[in-house]
This record gives sequence, structure tokens and C-alpha cells, in this order.
Amino acid sequence: MAKKTINIPLGSQHISLLEPIRFNFTTENEKIVDVDWDVGFVHRGIERACTTDFEYKQVGYVVARVCGLCAITHSLAYTMGIEQLLQLEIPKKIQYLRLLMLELDRIHSHMLCLSHVSENAGFEGMFMKIMADRELVMDIQEAISGNRVQFDYVSIGGVNRDLELETEKLLKTNLSELEKKIDDLMDKFTNNWSLSLKYKNIGVLTKENAYIMNALGPMARAAGAKIDVRLETNNFPYEEVGYEPIIETSGDIHARNLVRLKEIKNSIKMVRNIVDGLPQGEIEVKAKGKPNGETFVRLEAPRGEIFYYLRANGKNILQRVRIKTPTFSQIPVMVDIFKGANYADAHAILASFDPCMSCTAK
Amino acid sequence: MIKSFVESFKNLFEKPVTVNYPSEEIKRPAKYRGLIVYDVDECIFCDKCEKVCPPKAIVFHQNMDGTKKYHYNEYLCIFCGECVRSCPKIDLALTHSEIKPNIGTMDNEIFTQWRQLYKDAKQSRIDYKLSKKKPKKED
Repeated sequence: MAKKTINIPLGSQHISLLEPIRFNFTTENEKIVDVDWDVGFVHRGIERACTTDFEYKQVGYVVARVCGLCAITHSLAYTMGIEQLLQLEIPKKIQYLRLLMLELDRIHSHMLCLSHVSENAGFEGMFMKIMADRELVMDIQEAISGNRVQFDYVSIGGVNRDLELETEKLLKTNLSELEKKIDDLMDKFTNNWSLSLKYKNIGVLTKENAYIMNALGPMARAAGAKIDVRLETNNFPYEEVGYEPIIETSGDIHARNLVRLKEIKNSIKMVRNIVDGLPQGEIEVKAKGKPNGETFVRLEAPRGEIFYYLRANGKNILQRVRIKTPTFSQIPVMVDIFKGANYADAHAILASFDPCMSCTAK
Repeated sequence: MIKSFVESFKNLFEKPVTVNYPSEEIKRPAKYRGLIVYDVDECIFCDKCEKVCPPKAIVFHQNMDGTKKYHYNEYLCIFCGECVRSCPKIDLALTHSEIKPNIGTMDNEIFTQWRQLYKDAKQSRIDYKLSKKKPKKED
């Protein structure tokens, strides 16, 4: 008898998905043989809107609404691009405050991913627990920026609010509380037997494939590839505040979880250093003139590299805004990991990618 | 096994994470972003806030006698505070309050007829300019 394959669709609406993405798995018994994907369910035409309806000073707020989780990364990447075009020099204090928000953003995004990985592996209680702990970071962000999700913290030439003494106190108490909980989570993710059944040696990405297929962010670092925009660029004083590249070698879901947990710890350390070494000065520089020319910006978002291309011709409205998000660049890697895996593990693998569809379709 | 048993037993006596919302108040940090408050007496009608607003939630209606009327849509506003920062009368004409926006109901004109209001306001300025030009031509 000839081998029969069965098609199983996953998405665009599915209980294990946060956002609409469709996978069509071709399976042979339990094994996944081939994957077909579609990501364009939440297209909103943001790139077009940026070049027609909004002036360059407003686009920062539009672009921040591309994604709820990495809102600060998007608006920051855009603002940095415009500042390059306007040839503005940014004082150190502003850079420190921006980096502070960027790292807090990374912490809460990684925690969201971890909670969903545990939920998709069948650990509902852990999901609730991590989500509750995540509130600690959200509170800090709300205290600093005034908003809970869409921060609107960065504006062209500076930041909107200064760090105050009370928020600094809140930040320190919350972070020390969080650090204990992260240590506890690290123990659970490594030693819990039932979790390791779903995580260890599942969804393996080799180092070679990580380089060939352009893996980014925690996914590449879990496979042992030293890919991090923070290593390659000097937009921010990363080394000054104690950044360390975190690399695991096994490349499975367990390694990805560990990379995320260790990055959270590293980010906590960075945030503390930033707050302690915050220089004095103004929080806003006056922006003059109109942008002219073209530029690009690379930044390390929680999920990997984010890329902005901007072109302007000295008018109020930009000519082109191109956004390339990490999830979209990583689709070949996703397909590669799915091939050969069991269908039963597909949900856990998918959650460990940390896909962000509203970023991808924009 | 024993460890998880001890932990779950401890968990019974821990303080809950959630808040009993209607009976207990949620703690809000200071400088919470609320509605934009406008003061007519301080305003110099430079229209800077209108130009700068990303969702176009502020619009000035030009009356024929030369005065302007301020319209603000609290349901469109994203509370970014760009208008407050652009205002030349710092902390006087426009301020960022901590008031929550009201719930939009069907008897609220701004909630139901904002588009018409916005269109009329834009048209009113064109009409006003034309009415100013006409007498010059007659001379």
C-alpha cells in the first residue's frame, strides 16, 4: 500500500494561537512532512498610511501601533532614523532613558512568550503565574511612561518624561522581587520532569541551519549562533551598562526558554546599572528643519532584529517607510524546524518561536 | 513531589494577586495619562495643537465673526500629549489631566457626529478665507 499523507490545518483561528497565522501541515502518521504558511491576516496598510496621511512628526505614534509588545522598539527605531536624517545629536541622558524602556520591554515580552510556551505544553497554572509576575514590569513601565501598553514615550529629539524618584524606588523594589521569581522559574523550567518531556530535544535548530536560514534573536542564540544587533551596532552604550551575549548550544525549545530567562536576568542587571548611572541633563533637544535623504536603522527587538528604511525629500511627508520585522525574516527557520517533528509537539514549537503576527502583517 | 505539595499548601495562605475592583480602588501611578483639558481664556488660537495631533482629535471651527471654537474628541485621542508639548502657552492653555474619558453614548454629539463636525470645521476655514477676499476684489 502506498503511503498516505493527511493535511491538518492549524489556524487562522486556533486555541494555541495568540494572533492569526495559518499553517497547513502535511503529515505522515504523526510526523510532519511539509508545511505551508500564510501570515497576511491582519494587514492594516501602515506603511502606506505613513507616507500619505501623516506628517513625519506624527509617524512615530502611528508606527508604535504596529505592535503592542514591542511598541517602544518600533517608535524608537523610527525616531532614530529621523534623527539621523535631521543630523541631531542625542545627549547621553536621553539615550539612557530610551535604553531603560527598551530593556523593560524585552523583559515583559520574554515573560509573555514563556507563559505561552508553558500554556501550549499543557501547563495552565504556570501560564497564570508568569502572567501575574509580569505585572511587576508592566507597573514599572506604566509609572515611567504613564501608559500601560502603548507607551508613546519617545518623541523626535528626546523622551516625553523624566525618571522621578518615586518611580525609581518602585522600579528597584519590583525588580528585586522579579529577580527572585525568575530564579524560581529557571529552576522549574530546567528541573520539572513533565515540562522537560515537552521541551528537551524537541524542535531542534542546528547552528548551521541557523546561519543558512537567517535565524534571529533568541532563536539563533539558542542554537549557538552569535547573532545579536546589540553586538554589531553602537547605537546605545550597551557595554557600559553591562550587556552580555547569552548563548545556548542545544537549539531546542528548552534552550530557547533558557536564553529568554537568562536574557531577562541580564536585562534586569542592565536596568539597574542604567538607573544607578543615569547622567544629568535635559530630556529634550529641539528638532529643526525637515528630513532629507535616506537612512536605515537596526535595533534588537525582543524577537530579533528590527529594520527600518526611511526616505525623505525635504518635505513634511516621507517618501518611503519600510519596516522589516523579525518574525517575517524567520519564517524559513520555522518551516525547517517543523519538518520532521511530531504533530503533537507543533503547538509547543510554535509558541517557542514567539511569533508576532501584527508586526509581520502590519 | 513533596516540594510541589509544600508549595501548593503555602499558596493557600498567600495574598491574592488580583484586586476586588469595584469595591477596592486600583492603584494608579502619579501622572496617569488622562483627558486633555482646554482653557479658552488662555488660548491664543495658533492652531499648533491641531496640526500636530496624530489622530486628528483636535479641530478649530472658524466663525464668521473672526473667533474660533475648539473641538476635542476624547474618543479619538490617544493621550500622547504631543499637543500639550507643542502649545506655546506652557501648562496654561492645554494641560494633561488625570481624568478618565466618559463612556460614549448616542446622545453625545462628539461621539456620533465627529466626522461631520470635522468636515464642517475644515470647510468653515475655506469659507472664511473666501469671504475675506471678496471685498478686496469689489474695491
